[in-house]
Amino acid sequence: MRQLLRVYRAIFVAEFQAAAQYRVQSVLWLLFAIIRPVVFLAAWSAAAATQGGRIGDMTISDFAAYYVAVTLVSQLTMSWNAYDFELEIRQGKLSPKLLRPLHPLHYSVVENIVFKVATMPALLPVLVLIAWTFQARFATTWGHVLLFVPSVLLAAALRFMFGWLMATFAFWTTRVHGIMHVYDRLVFLFAGQLAPLSLLGGLASIAYWLPFGYMLWAPSEILRGGASIDQALGMIAIQAMWLALSWLGFLGLWQLGLRQFSAVGA
Amino acid sequence: MQFALEYRANLALDLFEELIIVISSLVAVLILYDHTSAINGWTEGQMIELLGVYYLVQGAQAVVFETSFERFMEHVRMGTLDFILIKPVDSQFMISTRHVQVPQFGQIAMGVLVLAIGIAQVGGGFGVLDALAFAATLVCGLLLVYSLLLVLSTLSFWFVRVENLLAIFWSFLDAGRFPVDVYPGWLRVTLSTVVPIGIAVTVPAQAIAGRLELAGVVAMIGGTIIMCWFASWFWRRGLRSYTGASA
Repeated sequence: MRQLLRVYRAIFVAEFQAAAQYRVQSVLWLLFAIIRPVVFLAAWSAAAATQGGRIGDMTISDFAAYYVAVTLVSQLTMSWNAYDFELEIRQGKLSPKLLRPLHPLHYSVVENIVFKVATMPALLPVLVLIAWTFQARFATTWGHVLLFVPSVLLAAALRFMFGWLMATFAFWTTRVHGIMHVYDRLVFLFAGQLAPLSLLGGLASIAYWLPFGYMLWAPSEILRGGASIDQALGMIAIQAMWLALSWLGFLGLWQLGLRQFSAVGA
Repeated sequence: MQFALEYRANLALDLFEELIIVISSLVAVLILYDHTSAINGWTEGQMIELLGVYYLVQGAQAVVFETSFERFMEHVRMGTLDFILIKPVDSQFMISTRHVQVPQFGQIAMGVLVLAIGIAQVGGGFGVLDALAFAATLVCGLLLVYSLLLVLSTLSFWFVRVENLLAIFWSFLDAGRFPVDVYPGWLRVTLSTVVPIGIAVTVPAQAIAGRLELAGVVAMIGGTIIMCWFASWFWRRGLRSYTGASA
């Protein structure tokens, strides 16, 4: 265990140094990450305005709080390893990585965390600005804050795991980014970016059964205070279940893929 | 033979991806209108028309402009621009239309399809004048976006690496999917001036929805002429200051 901690510390230092060179790219990425939720917040606000200021049980202020939460959670849970992985296989860079004593997953984890830590100071002021512009109303209690921590961690892990699950398909096909695009659209529809799951109309019942909502919508609702403590506990339980399932799926798929891996430069 | 087949398979997959993207955006609009009958005065059919125009503009922009301007900037960076400039065709035109992307035509086609769906939903709703206004403002919108891209690319004469500026442009592109009037002040202004994707989509959509007045059309045409003239002037300025890679 000690050994693992020391290794992680070394990788962290290396990744922070690398991240410092990507400042501009990070800012640009943040810009896009913010515009998306603002676009939909504006749409829902306009829609609510014609309905007397509220849709369902959400007022414009509630929507604002929801989307601020969604943006924050989105940034905290994002993962992009599938794209990198496909690139590495195609460029033949995977094989040397597999020869290292550490599973590529560890590097991926550190790179992921470092990016988020580095970009958070830039994101927070913008979120405050959005919250103030739209007069966001948070119904959060301390119980919610406490539950938010495990929820967002589970969501991040879940999204990470699913990212790797999709990435393993790269062992079989070079068209992973095609699969990723379709996957991204499913996430867009069912994870809560387009709308809180309760407002998805006919699609809501499907959405609750899919894992995507538990990557984004669940922790966002907890943070905003839109879910009761009981509901929050239930959400967390479902998140844990999906994480376990995706972990098992990944383990199995990775083993199968590795065996089948007859690579460029294997 | 295998290569040709693989190319066609890749093409089919690209088109399929486009289809998924467009369908999910359509679903997004439908879900919104599950809860309300109008947004800022836009009915469901009119919003679908706008979505159609959005994909039309995005596809048109991607088809010709994106790759050509990208290649141009690469030429500047690698110093191979001279080979293009000595050809007898007007350099601005050559730079802009050399490379054409087929999948993006699919996006345009889907934009037209969505527009048609919207029109069907609205039940017509426009007259001959509106149709003319639509055509005019659509062309204006495309020219505005083209001018912006030309200005950004011209900056490579001095700064060489302007991809980051382009990335800023593309991140704002997403906001074009809704009418520009739903956005808060600062964003609305940005989308109408600096990054004109907002008006490039909203104004033609207003025209086809029968919501645009003559003053709007005139303003759009006037603004476009000014912008095009400026971009062209700026391009020539950049060309003049270009001393070549192998002086």
